[in-house]
Amino acid sequence: MQQLLNGIFLGSIYALFAIGFTLVFGVLDRLNLAHSAVFSTSAFVGIELVARAGLSIWVTLPIIFVFGGVLGLVIERVAFRPLKGRHDAHFAGLISSIALGAMFLALLQAGFGPDTRRFPPDAFPQQRLEFAGAVVSVLQLVIVVVAFALMVGLTLMVSRSRLGRGMRAVAENPHAALVLGIDVDRITALTFALSSALGGVAGVLFALNVNSAQISMGSSIELKGLAVIIVGGLGSLPGAMLGGLLVGLAEVFAVTYVGSSWRDVIAFGLLFSILLLRPQGIFGARQVREI
Amino acid sequence: MSGFLDSYASTITFMALTGVFAYSFYAVLMAGQLSLAQAGLASAAAFTSSLVVPAEPLFGVIPRLVVGIAVGMTVGAALAFLLGLPVMRLRGVFLAIATLAFGEVVRILLINQSWTGGAEGLSFPKLVGIPQAWLALAVVAYWFWRLGGSRLGRALAAIREDELAAKAMGIDVTRHRMMSFVTSGAVAGLYGVLLAHFVRFADPNAFGFSTAVEGLVTAVVGGTALFIGPLLGSVFLTALPELQRAIGVEAGWIRPFVSGLMLLLVILFLPGGLAALIPHRPGRVGHPDALPDLPPLPAAGTPIASLRAIRKDYGGVHAVHDVDLDIAASEIVGLIGPNGAGKTTLINIVSGLVPPTSGEGTVVGIPVGSGVPAHRIALAGVSRTFQQIKLFDRLSALDNVLVGAHRVSRPTLLRRLILLPSARRDERLALAQAFAQLTRVGLADRARQAAGDLPYGDQRRLEIARALAAHPTLLILDEPAAGMNHVEAHRLSVLIRGLADDGVTILLIEHNVRMVLETCTRVVVLDFGEVIAAGDPATVARDPRVVEAYLGAEDDGAESA
Repeated sequence: MQQLLNGIFLGSIYALFAIGFTLVFGVLDRLNLAHSAVFSTSAFVGIELVARAGLSIWVTLPIIFVFGGVLGLVIERVAFRPLKGRHDAHFAGLISSIALGAMFLALLQAGFGPDTRRFPPDAFPQQRLEFAGAVVSVLQLVIVVVAFALMVGLTLMVSRSRLGRGMRAVAENPHAALVLGIDVDRITALTFALSSALGGVAGVLFALNVNSAQISMGSSIELKGLAVIIVGGLGSLPGAMLGGLLVGLAEVFAVTYVGSSWRDVIAFGLLFSILLLRPQGIFGARQVREI
Repeated sequence: MSGFLDSYASTITFMALTGVFAYSFYAVLMAGQLSLAQAGLASAAAFTSSLVVPAEPLFGVIPRLVVGIAVGMTVGAALAFLLGLPVMRLRGVFLAIATLAFGEVVRILLINQSWTGGAEGLSFPKLVGIPQAWLALAVVAYWFWRLGGSRLGRALAAIREDELAAKAMGIDVTRHRMMSFVTSGAVAGLYGVLLAHFVRFADPNAFGFSTAVEGLVTAVVGGTALFIGPLLGSVFLTALPELQRAIGVEAGWIRPFVSGLMLLLVILFLPGGLAALIPHRPGRVGHPDALPDLPPLPAAGTPIASLRAIRKDYGGVHAVHDVDLDIAASEIVGLIGPNGAGKTTLINIVSGLVPPTSGEGTVVGIPVGSGVPAHRIALAGVSRTFQQIKLFDRLSALDNVLVGAHRVSRPTLLRRLILLPSARRDERLALAQAFAQLTRVGLADRARQAAGDLPYGDQRRLEIARALAAHPTLLILDEPAAGMNHVEAHRLSVLIRGLADDGVTILLIEHNVRMVLETCTRVVVLDFGEVIAAGDPATVARDPRVVEAYLGAEDDGAESA
């Protein structure tokens, strides 16, 4: 039971990270590899806000949401928009986002140095609850609630709101969307902003969960994020949610029953078999583009 | 000079090693594939080599490093092959992620083995310095240089540009993709062995995701359209931090920042990578008097295709319904019918891209629907163009047509590697064959332009030239006159009749009914998947069912087709 809960806590962070990742892919058909840099950067900035500015975590999270969104706008403007209309845009976008991500991390190092950072000890509630024989900290509940609230909010927004309709139109066919009077550039920018806002919050939640942040924290979650969005189906929001939980649970149980050195084999083995057996993923709405 | 070499020995060696690694990415990128398994393959090769590198030269003569390299490259190639078997059907991002996952799994497997030293790592003898590293790089670069102008190199470029069109030109896409995969694995294996025997230490964690990304970045910054690209990328990216150090930049964050910035600038403003800065050498254009000897086309009247009761259903829709079709050599058969009549489905069946639901028949001697892949049918003599133009956009017009000559030219890579003159002779014949086709369709003066930059009408004709270069028995033209005005359409009609006079059999789909009537020797009319009329053009044009299909029944009101 304890493992199950731990898996859900970890998985909900993976899911939140991955849902932003997959949003950009689903709407814009681009893989944004700077997403993990947003994750790390936001975690550092979040710790800074709590430790230096003395803000409460409830104020910090919305600020980080906005901060991540701004980073997303920067990523879109610098790494993706200049590639518009280029035949290799898909591929070049991978590289340009890697480059921009590396620059973010370099700036992070300039600002905070290479050391691990932690939240001050009294930054968040310490209470623990007993639940069906397992111990749950209030903090962990907060993580799950925030993650799920954001994910459900995003899913509702995409399916209900005007902006969401625009996103789905752009995903279907950007040219047709343009002809219908949809401001494709604006939708694109907002998609990046939303995606990075969620990635940023995921970074802070992750740092809260393990109470530390390193510059390299993004690269391992980037791989997990890729695994999650493939398992769930590229571009599928509920898929990313479920995939995140699945990978989180698989990891926690692998550590318990197989040994920690084999932890990642589970995620990648799962990823590999999904790709071979059902490349569109569990919830894949989108066909694999053959030829 | 020697002082320079000494103080920068490590950088200079790394430059070569990074270059070798970048070539392992180049090997797949040139075929349009993104694989990220190379770090894992390099790691597996390095650790396997630790098991076999002898303490003394093998048999007293074979150097220790050579043993390691041979084993390492074999391991890399074999693993790439095993990985390729399941993942070859994936494309793009999916392929990238699957190979990445494979690389990670290899890493974790190696960490959990005792013979690799696990996370502690393993010591290796120091067997690599500047000479070994640069020699290896030179050999690899030479391979890719010779590959570039060979038939194989062109086939890979064609696959990168458009797999379907490559298939229609007789290129076995799956086999070629696998070849590039295995080559990449072998080069990655070479890198792993060299690296371990240079730094004298390796642990599986050193070959992770970021290693793979660095290799990819090096290849892309250098440029993937020219063999020199990975070398340029490696020199640039290895020298950059050294330059910064030389000018006194020491802060830990500035170097990664500047490297990221340079990478960003290259990818945004120099799409072809650094190799794009190298001026393009205009190639030779062949003389049409040295055309290759081609087998004669079948004599007029020989049956070329014969289909009986062909049917194709998509769900409940009968796209093609019990169609019989016979084509004899030197005929020009016109296939007309309103939109959605099943014309394109029918020729996809004829050219082997789509299997029929039922029915039988043969096309150039190959049974229809027998599961023979499309490229085999192309090799047997069926060439085609596409309704939606499918050119290899970034290749020149001449190179497009050279790919078309795949069927009638011979493989040249191995002979090019040892600089045999016969390879050059064969390349010249292929070039002449290609140039002759360009001349045939009137595009000789466009030979050097990129296909994607040609005006629309020229693109249509270039597709015909490419299909002709295969010396086809049966040439299928899918709406070649689409978008042409009537003067251009008339010229095309003259060209097509000239081809038939040369013995080429032609199946022509066209909406321009006037052009079909003026061009074809026989016309078949499809409507709702069924043949509603067939015969010589004059008879068909008067057939009331045809008039009705095109113009609607009289009380429907006239609607032009």
